[in-house]
Amino acid sequence: MNNSTALPISIRGLTKKYGDLNALNSVDLEIKSSEFLTLLGPSGSGKTTLLMAIAGFNRPDAGSIKFGDAEMVLTPPHKRDVGMVFQSYALFPHMTVSENIGFPLKLRGLAAKEVMGRVDEALATVQLSGLGDRAIDQLSGGQRQRVALARAFVFRPRILLMDEPLSALDKKLREHMQIELKQIHRQLGVTTVYVTHDQREALTMSDRIAVINHGELAQVDTPEAIYNRPKDQFVADFIGESTMLSLTRGGDGRLSFGSEIISSSSPNPSVSKWSLVVRPERLHLLEGDVNTSEKQVVFRGHVKEYVFQGETAFALIALDDVTILSVRFGTGAGSRIQLLEPGALVSVGLMREDIILIPQEGQT
Amino acid sequence: MPISPDIETPMLHGQELQSQKKREEWVLLGLSLPAIFVIALVVILPVGWLFYLSFVDGHGNFSLEHYQKMVEYKSYARVFITTFKVSALTTLICIVLGYPIAYFLAALPSRWSGIFMLAVLLPFWTSLLVRTYAWLVLLQSKGLLNDLAIQIGLWDSPVKLVHNMTGTLIGMAHIMLPFLVLPLYGAMKKIEPDMMQAASNLGASPVRAFFSIYLPLSVSGLVAGALIVFVLCLGFYVTPAVLGGGRVVMVATQITAILEHQFDWGAASALGVVLLLATVLVLYLAGRFFKFDTALFGKR
Amino acid sequence: MVKILKKNSRGVFIGGVVALLCSGSVAAEPITVVSWGGSYGAAQDNALFNDASKNSGIEINRESGASMSKTCLQVESNSVSWDLVVTGSGGAAAAAAKGCLEKIDYSVVDVSDFYPNLYTDYCVGSDVFATVMAWNTDKYGEPGSANAPKSWADFWDVEKFPGKRSYRANNVDGALEPALMADGVPADQVYEVLSTRAGIERAINKIRELKPHIAVFWESGAMQAQLMKDGEVDMITGWNGRFDNAKKDGAKVGYTFNQALLDYDCFAMPKGAPNKETAMKFLAEISKAEYQANLPFHITYGPTNKKAYEVTTAPKELLEALPSHPKNVPLMMPISLDWYANHRAEALELYMELLSE
Repeated sequence: MNNSTALPISIRGLTKKYGDLNALNSVDLEIKSSEFLTLLGPSGSGKTTLLMAIAGFNRPDAGSIKFGDAEMVLTPPHKRDVGMVFQSYALFPHMTVSENIGFPLKLRGLAAKEVMGRVDEALATVQLSGLGDRAIDQLSGGQRQRVALARAFVFRPRILLMDEPLSALDKKLREHMQIELKQIHRQLGVTTVYVTHDQREALTMSDRIAVINHGELAQVDTPEAIYNRPKDQFVADFIGESTMLSLTRGGDGRLSFGSEIISSSSPNPSVSKWSLVVRPERLHLLEGDVNTSEKQVVFRGHVKEYVFQGETAFALIALDDVTILSVRFGTGAGSRIQLLEPGALVSVGLMREDIILIPQEGQT
Repeated sequence: MPISPDIETPMLHGQELQSQKKREEWVLLGLSLPAIFVIALVVILPVGWLFYLSFVDGHGNFSLEHYQKMVEYKSYARVFITTFKVSALTTLICIVLGYPIAYFLAALPSRWSGIFMLAVLLPFWTSLLVRTYAWLVLLQSKGLLNDLAIQIGLWDSPVKLVHNMTGTLIGMAHIMLPFLVLPLYGAMKKIEPDMMQAASNLGASPVRAFFSIYLPLSVSGLVAGALIVFVLCLGFYVTPAVLGGGRVVMVATQITAILEHQFDWGAASALGVVLLLATVLVLYLAGRFFKFDTALFGKR
Repeated sequence: MVKILKKNSRGVFIGGVVALLCSGSVAAEPITVVSWGGSYGAAQDNALFNDASKNSGIEINRESGASMSKTCLQVESNSVSWDLVVTGSGGAAAAAAKGCLEKIDYSVVDVSDFYPNLYTDYCVGSDVFATVMAWNTDKYGEPGSANAPKSWADFWDVEKFPGKRSYRANNVDGALEPALMADGVPADQVYEVLSTRAGIERAINKIRELKPHIAVFWESGAMQAQLMKDGEVDMITGWNGRFDNAKKDGAKVGYTFNQALLDYDCFAMPKGAPNKETAMKFLAEISKAEYQANLPFHITYGPTNKKAYEVTTAPKELLEALPSHPKNVPLMMPISLDWYANHRAEALELYMELLSE
């Protein structure tokens, strides 16, 4: 079922205002053909507004949305030929599962027999074979989610949109569905725009993530890049856990934390104030007297709090009176977590490759 | 004592819990007794009395004379036909007028829908008699409407708008409209906006989306409202009497005439019984097309 | 309770004061007197009830909504709360036949000066009215003028008198007699013809002939007056007093007593009335000529007590406008209670059949 007609989406200067509020502020975004792109942001960031604009449910104040070469901004939603999975699923309660899935096919004038075949095929794809005659209110939450998905792709749309489709499911089912959605996407090959506020979900599923905040795109990149090289404090903060350490700049441009030199030069000389982003799991416990070296930066502090959480252990380490570092270690043999006695003085190391520097807020 | 698998354990206190459950059920039944009693008193007894009276002649003997009379004189059959015709037409007019009104109300943001809802409900606060006479004043041959129409040249001589079926239907539809709009509005409010978005997204034009999705989802409210209107219309007296000009004789009119001028409870009861049975029959037939429990209680 | 404030004639008022002062010993339960609403009930309050209550010392509760069917309902359910009820003569006859009424005690009520046909065993005449033919005087001219309608035949003559008619709805009382007269039956043979089914059908057929021209069927006296005031119809049947009052309100309406149906209203007592004896005394009081003499001031319905014509202070023109005035009576045809007692039910069924067509 590989979709040869998958289309790229090109968004230019898209602007939408609600009163004084800038829901979207001149957004530019290129989504590649067959790509799985996630719009990630906190609530009110504009991610749903952007998705609705692509679907055609709200009309932007300015800008352009192209599917392939075709300008869509003035096209009514029912002529856009995009599939969509709604947050509430929006399944039609007066229709059976098959009628729901067959609805877009009937609208496209397919013969009853062909509709039946395509519906069965879609049901098989979402692993609901045999449930076609069920009423919607006889389905579990997970089953409804699958029906909504089947209905969204059954008519082979060129673009698939999903608005927080997994938010109503419990954690276990959600994690299972993330993988399944990913597989189905790969199978269909359709350009997919996915909206979520769950950074973990975004990291799990996406080819690329567009982090959006206050109606503007903060960073658009692969999950690895977003996680390892956040461009600013918002992205670093929003994606994953982290501790921000304020750095001081020496006269020669060196950036240091206390006595430890973090970087010999500033990545961008025009920015004066930098922060070091420390991911808790990138730290490792050191035994004995190890000092900062070419390979790693070493922090020393007292264990304030220690929590064993199964596959990992979590601790807070006070470096000085005001700075507290979050750390996370594996719990296997050799992890040295036995050193994490509350009050004990410990050393933790950060490999130079794991150093993330970002300009402080208000700096560019 | 060592812990061993004890088969009795799950049944611990079993008997006690069972009997407590029974007690609670009896208490619940006891609580609903007053309501059952009141219903028996105000519904079942009078209807039973009505049936009884309709089979008793002037001397207190069992007799079918009242029913024979209804076959003998053509007026009774005609009156029933008129009654059902007026009720059906009123219901139809209410549907045609009420659906767009309810749709409009449901589509408005809530602070505006409140104001417009007030306008729909306003007639409820005016006496039925006053509203009926107000229509008489508006519609009669030298009434406001005819005067205005003649003045602006819509027609030359007064058009007969009242003292006939037309006037009766106008008055009754006006009075009944809120009964249709309210349940319909309720059903429409329950339709999530993303239903229509989904339909549109799947390729349905606005018209198609309305007929495939919105209408079926609102039909339960529509049927409930239409039923209320239809059944209430069957017993209407004042409005057809005032606006019908004596030409629209409904069952209630006939019952009044028999009671007022013949003091014949039996004959009036027989009419009541036939109206009741005819209504039940119509509802039963209608019920074969629509699921009433869905319509009335919103449960599928 | 009636407020004893109205005074119609000084003599009655002073007598009332005297009666009040002396009546301390006769303290009885207040009786319930039920009449109709509108100008009719008000006329009875002003002419009869208020003064009679004052003079006799009998307190009354005045209620509206008099109806023989409700009377019978009270009697049949053993919950009689009314003592005196106003009714049409036909209604009283029907209710009496059903056993709903108390016999009038004519040793208490003095009817020696009454017109002989205006009381029965079960009811005492309160006023005389006529079912007349009335019309819009702008359209057909003032009564008595050369071109004005004069007979029921004219009422049916839609070529000579084109226009909209109005006739009685849902009740056959006074509906068939005009039709037969229009069909050429002399007044004194009307009830003879109506005593067979064929005769009733003949009358019904005559009305069916007119039906296309009947724009409205009226339901009440108030509606008769309103239809003429609004100019909604051009010619109508109805009760003379209603048209006189409508004319006072500015309606262009006139009527003729010629071929009108002479009828009367009366007071009846429900069987088992709670204050039978007091109510009988009150009935005797209001049947006196001195009260009936005041009736013409309030509504153009005539006294049933002949002596009232002697004691009344009403001017001659007013008296001559009353249906029971000796000048008018010969023009009219008296209603036959016998016929209504025997044929009303059947006639009503057939009339309803016509209406429902």
